[in-house]
Amino acid sequence: MSSLDPQDEFFIGYLGVPPRLKRFLLGFIPILVLSVLAFAFILPPLHFDHFNLGKRTKVPEFEGLLVGEPSPHLLVPRTGEVGTASDFSLYLLSGTGKTSPKPKVLEHVNQWVKLKGTPFHRNHLTVIATKSAEPMEPPTPESAQPAESSSLGEFSLTGEIVDGKCYPGVMKPGRTKTHRSCAIRCLSGGVPPVFVVHNQVGDKLYFLLSDLDGKAVNDKVLDLVADPVQITGEVIQYADAFVLKADPATYKLL
Amino acid sequence: MGVAYKAVQWNRQKFVYDIILLSTVVFYLFCFEGISLQFSSDLDLKGIWIRAFGSAAFILLHVILSIGPLSRLSAKFLPLLYNRRHMGVTMFILALLHARDALAWYHDFGNLEPIVSLFVSNTHYADFVRFPFEALGGVALVILFLMAATSHDFWLTNLTAPVWKALHMGVYLAYGLLVGHVVLGALETNTHPFLTLAVGVGFVWIVGIHLMTSLREAQKDGAPLFGKPAKAQVDADGFVHVGSVQDIPENRAKIAVIAGERVAIFKYDGQISAISNVCQHQNGPLGEGKVVDGCITCPWHGYQYLPDSGISPPPFTEKIPTFNVKLQGDQILVSAKPNLPGTPVVPAVIGQV
Repeated sequence: MSSLDPQDEFFIGYLGVPPRLKRFLLGFIPILVLSVLAFAFILPPLHFDHFNLGKRTKVPEFEGLLVGEPSPHLLVPRTGEVGTASDFSLYLLSGTGKTSPKPKVLEHVNQWVKLKGTPFHRNHLTVIATKSAEPMEPPTPESAQPAESSSLGEFSLTGEIVDGKCYPGVMKPGRTKTHRSCAIRCLSGGVPPVFVVHNQVGDKLYFLLSDLDGKAVNDKVLDLVADPVQITGEVIQYADAFVLKADPATYKLL
Repeated sequence: MGVAYKAVQWNRQKFVYDIILLSTVVFYLFCFEGISLQFSSDLDLKGIWIRAFGSAAFILLHVILSIGPLSRLSAKFLPLLYNRRHMGVTMFILALLHARDALAWYHDFGNLEPIVSLFVSNTHYADFVRFPFEALGGVALVILFLMAATSHDFWLTNLTAPVWKALHMGVYLAYGLLVGHVVLGALETNTHPFLTLAVGVGFVWIVGIHLMTSLREAQKDGAPLFGKPAKAQVDADGFVHVGSVQDIPENRAKIAVIAGERVAIFKYDGQISAISNVCQHQNGPLGEGKVVDGCITCPWHGYQYLPDSGISPPPFTEKIPTFNVKLQGDQILVSAKPNLPGTPVVPAVIGQV
């Protein structure tokens, strides 16, 4: 036999592929390539929470009452017939990064403002990545102060603490383990925390978090984001939103 | 071979290899994005690309880690091994793009430097379930960077093949870290059973095929599964009996373990020569090679050595150890002590008394 023996094929990269080996590769490589490409078709539909309804909307300017606590938010009067619902919609406020609104915006707390920013919303939770705010006259004297909040009683709720900017739609999924570090950055930067609870019929309920003094809890919950948590406290109906008032030291990691 | 360094010594096989590799990767990435857009036009596209880059790198790593053992089990897979380094560098670039985008998206625009945020945002290093999976990916990326940066033959020669190979065995540590990165990160967020199954099957495949290959190699070497291998019987002249001339096909070799080292004993042109089984280039198994044009040719990258001296033919300069060899009838005897690399040895002539 010689080194050219066709029955004893031997691949040398710089000399080309022997015929029988070439036939094998012409069958094997397409199968390998297609197997790899199959994942590009299988994986995207399995993505967790990527196709949620969180959306950026194109409303550039809002008019409302700027409130600072427990977390910065804007109370915007609802137009038209609201029936028994609240006269105001609550929009959370963040800065343009993983931050609270700029000091130039927050200096107008408790004033009516024309506020510019980019709103993101998911279900009935809206956050505005705030760029600027200018004071304005209240639209009517009686709307200068919104309706008072009312207590709905004490509840023990199980859910997840998320950052109120990424969860509504800046990022998807914007919650759970892969988002934990980002949420910690957001909350430590001043983005309002939101407690997401699924009720018995699968609806999502959102709660602003407040300590017993009505202040923000951001720095006290950094260790509890993206994990199942139980919070027991007073639920307060406030505009069209809920506030859950409890001592962060009593939050339970499940 | 080792004459002059070029960025890449191109040939047709490498072009074809790289075209298939890169077009598959590009097609994967754009299919991933396109399929995602089919489900919603309102996506976090940055997030989609982070997942596309990450999944592509992880899948490619499985392919890379499969090529070695598959090539040991069947020579049919050797063409995949030929340019595997380009696959490794491609995988590193995908991992780097994944890390770059994840770092910017999840850790930038906040009150800390992104790289600091990566390691200190989640500090549950002592908790398995809450473990900061990002750190595992970061350490793996450093290992992959070291491998990609030293992948060129320049480093192979200057670090020496054993050191280079030891460094590149770091891929197994990187793989372990990346399995942890995926299990404690993506799989904790996305609990779809298919993903868990896919990562599990991938892990079992990689471990299984390496175990299978190791067992087969041990079997071939005649080593027991447990305990020390039996020592070869050395005669008074310092030679070891390694078998019969009939055991070896023409232009091929038999591999024998002598004094703990593998030796390749070649039969060609009516002669027998023995050389080290370890190619000087990437430590490829010369005994699985073939005598082509009078030279022992490595099955991995075609490095060549003259069988009677262990020296690469001019103008190349590689040298490997040779072994004295003699015949008693048709029985082959090989010296238990290797000669210095490049030492000429008179081949044993078959049929000559």
